[in-house]
Amino acid sequence: MFLTPETIAILILDCIFIVFAFFAFVISINIVKKWDLNSTSSLQYSLEKKAILAATIIKYIFVLKLPLFMFFVFTADKISGVITGAMCAAGVVNSVEFGLWLFVFKIINLFVFGFWIALHVKDMQDEKLSLTKLKFSIFLVAFLLLIIEIAYEISFFASLDVDKIVSCCGTLFSVASASSFSVIFMIPNNIIITIFYATFFLYLVSFFLKSELFFFFSNLVFFIVSIISLILFFCTYIYELPTHHCPFCFLQKEYHYVGYLLYVTLFIGTFSGISGSILSLLKPHHSKSYYKVSLFFNTLYTAIITAYPVVFYIKNGVWL
Amino acid sequence: MKINHYLIGFAVSSLFRRGTKSLFVLFIFTALIFLLSSILFISNSIKEELNLTLDSLPQIIVQKLQAGRQTNIELKRVNKLLEFQGVQSAVPRIWGYYYFEKAGVNFSLVGIDAYDKQYKNSFANIVKNVNFDALEKTSSMVVGQGVKKALSENYYKNYFNFIKPDGDFIKVPIASTFSSKTSLESNDIILMPRSLVLEIFGMDKTKATDIVLSVANPEEIPTIAKKIKNLYPDTRVITKSDLKVSYQNIFDYKSGMFLALFVISAFTFFMIIYDKASGLSSEEKKEIGILKALGWKIDDILQEKFYEAFIISFVAFISAIILSLFFVYTLEAPILKEIFIGYSRLKPSFDLPFILDVQTIFLLFFLTIPLYLAAIIIPSWRVASMDADEVMR
Amino acid sequence: MIRCKNISKIFNVNKPNELTALKEIDLKFKEGELVILKGASGSGKSTLLSLIAALSKPNVGEVIIDEKRISKMPDNFTSLFRRENVGFIFQKYNLIPTLSAYDNIILPLIPTNPNEKQLHKRIDELLKTFCIEDKKDVLVKNLSGGEQQRVAISRALINNPKIIIADEPTANLDAKLSLDFIEIIKSLKNDATTILIATHDPLFFDLDFVDKIVELKNGEVIDVSHS
Ligand SMILES: Nc1ncnc2c1ncn2[C@@H]1O[C@H](COP(=O)(O)OP(=O)(O)OP(=O)(O)O)[C@@H](O)[C@H]1O
Ligand SMILES: [Mg+2]
Repeated sequence: MFLTPETIAILILDCIFIVFAFFAFVISINIVKKWDLNSTSSLQYSLEKKAILAATIIKYIFVLKLPLFMFFVFTADKISGVITGAMCAAGVVNSVEFGLWLFVFKIINLFVFGFWIALHVKDMQDEKLSLTKLKFSIFLVAFLLLIIEIAYEISFFASLDVDKIVSCCGTLFSVASASSFSVIFMIPNNIIITIFYATFFLYLVSFFLKSELFFFFSNLVFFIVSIISLILFFCTYIYELPTHHCPFCFLQKEYHYVGYLLYVTLFIGTFSGISGSILSLLKPHHSKSYYKVSLFFNTLYTAIITAYPVVFYIKNGVWL
Repeated sequence: MKINHYLIGFAVSSLFRRGTKSLFVLFIFTALIFLLSSILFISNSIKEELNLTLDSLPQIIVQKLQAGRQTNIELKRVNKLLEFQGVQSAVPRIWGYYYFEKAGVNFSLVGIDAYDKQYKNSFANIVKNVNFDALEKTSSMVVGQGVKKALSENYYKNYFNFIKPDGDFIKVPIASTFSSKTSLESNDIILMPRSLVLEIFGMDKTKATDIVLSVANPEEIPTIAKKIKNLYPDTRVITKSDLKVSYQNIFDYKSGMFLALFVISAFTFFMIIYDKASGLSSEEKKEIGILKALGWKIDDILQEKFYEAFIISFVAFISAIILSLFFVYTLEAPILKEIFIGYSRLKPSFDLPFILDVQTIFLLFFLTIPLYLAAIIIPSWRVASMDADEVMR
Repeated sequence: MIRCKNISKIFNVNKPNELTALKEIDLKFKEGELVILKGASGSGKSTLLSLIAALSKPNVGEVIIDEKRISKMPDNFTSLFRRENVGFIFQKYNLIPTLSAYDNIILPLIPTNPNEKQLHKRIDELLKTFCIEDKKDVLVKNLSGGEQQRVAISRALINNPKIIIADEPTANLDAKLSLDFIEIIKSLKNDATTILIATHDPLFFDLDFVDKIVELKNGEVIDVSHS
C-alpha cells in the first residue's frame, strides 16, 4: 500500500463515498421498484423524502468529485517524484496496468454524475416528478461505475511500487511505446489538424441547426477528438518540443497550470452540450441556454489551443 | 445563481442563537484541523530539511567492516578506488561522534583539509570563508550554531576541553561559528583540522573513518558499488539512494503512525458531529416545523444547514491554520516536534524551515471538510423532512 | 376554490392507539369566503386545517385547491404552494422567540431571495398597518402578547396570500385584542382573501360577514350553516 497523507485523504473519501452511495443505491432500488406518485400510502410518502436524501448524497459526492479529480492528478504528479523513472502523473498512472482505465472511469463518472444532477434539477422543477424513476434507474448504473472506479483506485494505490522502475511520459506517448495507443501516433499532423477543425466546424453547424441529437453527437465527438489532438499535436506547442506528447505535464507549474484551464473549459463546454441535449430530448421544454454555454466554452477551448501554435509561429517563424 | 444572503444571514443568526452548541462544534473541529495541519506542517518542514540534507550527501560511501562493525579504513585504498572507471574523486573522511555529557548531546566532529577536494558543498563554502591556515596553525575549530549554543549554555564561551581516549584533556579554541542552508544537518557539526580529530579520537594516522566517492554519471553508481564490493569484500558500500530510502522509511513510519492516529480522531469527530446534529432540542424541532409551515422546502432547510456547516468549517479551517502556523513556526512546535523526530534528543534542536504550499492546504481541506459535511447529511435530512403538522398542536 | 374530497385522517394506523381524527369529510369553499370551523377540543379542527395546508396528507381522499391536487404533491411542492398561497396564524403564534420582529416577519420569504427594496416596502406597509413600527428590532420574546399576535399576522400576510389559515387566533388574547383581530379579519375579507378560522371563541359565531360555519364533532361534519 502506498500511504501518503494525500492517498489517505483520497482513500478516506472513497470510503465515505462507498457508504453513502450505498445508502443512495438502496433507496434507488426501492424507488425504481415501488415509486407511484398517485399513491397516498405512507410508503410512497417516505420514498419521496428518501429521494431527497439520495439526491443530497449524490450532489455531495459530485461536488467533491470535481475538485478531487484535480487533486488526484496533483497527487499522482507528486508521487512521480518518488517513483523511479516517472516524471509526471502519466508515468505513475501507467506504472499499473489498469491505470489508464482508472482514468477513463474517472472521466466517465464525472460526466455521469454531472448529468445525473442536471437531470435531478430538471426533475425537481415539475411537481409530477416524471423523471424520478428514470433518474434513479440511471443512478443504479452510476453506482456500479462508481464502485468500479473506487475499486480501481484502491488497487491502484495498493499496487504502486516505489522500487519498480516505470517509463516516463516521453516513452509512453510516442510511436515507440508498445501500447495499442501508439498506433495513432502514426497519423500525420496535417490530418489531425484537419480532423480537429472539421469537428469544430461540425460542432458549429450543429449549434446553428439546433438539433438536439446532432448537437449531442457533435459534442461527444468534439470531446474525444479534442483529447486526441491535444495529445498528438497541440501539446507539443505547449512544451515547445516536437517529441513531448504528455497530457499531464502541462498541469505542472512550469506551464502555469494551463492544463487545468484547458481541461476545465473543455469539460464544461462538452458537458453542458451533452447533458443539455439529452435533457432536451427527454423534456422538450428544456431551456436552450445550454447551447450558448457549450458554444462559449468549446470556442474558448479552441481559441486557447489554437493560440499555442500560432504564437509559436509568430515568435519563431517556423512550425515545430 | 444568485447567492441568497437572507438565507446566509439566517444561518449565521441560527448559529449564534445556539451559541454553546455551535461553539462546541467549532472548537472540536478547529482542534481536529489544528492537530492535522500541525502534523502536516512539521512533516513538510522536516521533509524539506531531509531533502536538502540528502542532496548534499556523497554519492557513494565506502566503509570497512570488522566483525560486523564499522572500523577505520586504510588510506591506501583511496588510490585503488580512484582507478575505477567513472570515479571522479575519492576523499577519505575523518569524523566521528563526540558525546558531550553535560548537555546530553552528540557532536559530529569532522576533520577537514583545505587542499583536499571537499566532499560536501556546504563544507566547501565554509572552508572558503574560514581562514583555514589560521585554523591549522592555532589548532582551533569552527562550530555549528547548535553546538555553539550547547557549549555556551555550559559556560564554554571561547573554547572546549575534549577528553581523549587516554583520559587527557585537549583544549580547542572556537575560531568562529557557521550556519548553512539546512540546520538539521549542520547544527551539531564541528569542523577542525584533521590532525586534531585524529588526536581527539586517538586514531591511527594511516587510516580514515570512511571514503566518499563522487561519480560522473549517476547511472553508473550501482555498477561501481558492485565492483568495489567485489574488490574489497570486507567493505560496506552505501549509495545515496540507499540512504534516501532508509531516511524516508524512518520518516514515513512516523508520519504513518500519526495518520493512523488521525484516522481514529477523525472517526471520533465524525461520531460526535453526527450525534450533535441528530440530537435536536424540542425548540429546534419546532422551529423547523414553523419554517416548513411557512413555505420552506426540504431543500431550503438543507441548504440552510449546509450554509451553517460552511460557516463553521470556514471559520474553523482558517483559525486552525493560523493557530498551527503560529504553533509550528513561531513556537517551534513544542512536544509535537519532539515526538515527530525520534532522534532529536541526540541532536541539538534545529529550526523548522517555513513551507506553506497550496497543495497542503488542499490536502487539509480534503481530509477535514468533507468529513464534517458527511457527518451532517443524514441528521440534517432527517430534520428537514420531518412532518410539519406538529406546529398545529 | 378549496375542495376536500371525502378525506379521512387516521393516526397511528394499525397500532393499538389507532385514532380516526377525521372521517369522510367532504367540503367546498369558494374563493373569498370566510369560514369558521367550530367544535369541541379534539374534534379535528386543527387536523383539517393542516390537511388543507398540506402540512400532512390524508389517508383517504384528497384536497384540491384551484385545480391543484395538493394532497398528492411531494413535500417540496407543498411547501412551495404554501409559500405562494397560504398565510398561517397559529394558536401559539409560533414565532421564533430569539429573532427580532422584523426577522420573524420575513421568514416566509427568505428562500425566495427577495428583492431588498420591495421587501422593505412591503414590511414597512405591514408594520404601519399593525402599529408595530417601533418594535421592529425588538426580540419577539420581549414583546407583549398583543404585539406578538400582530407580528404573527404580519408574517402571515407578507407573501400576499390567497388563503389565510388561522388556528384558534384569539385563544391567548383578551377581549379588546380579540375585537381588534376581528377588525383585521374584516378588512382582509374585503380584499377577497379566502379565510379559514378554527375556533371555539363565540365572538366569531354571529359576525355578519362570516360566510360559512362548519361544525365538527369527533372528526365528522355535523353542520354547515350559511349566513
Ligand atoms: N400527530 C398526531 N398523532 C396522534 N394523534 C393526533 C395527532 N394529531 C392530532 N391527534 C389527535 O387527533 C384528534 C384531533 O386533534 P385536533 O388537534 O385536530 O383537534 P382540535 O379540534 O384542533 O382540538 P383543539 O380545539 O384542542 O385544538 C385529537 O384527538 C388528537 O389527540
Ligand atoms: Mg387545535
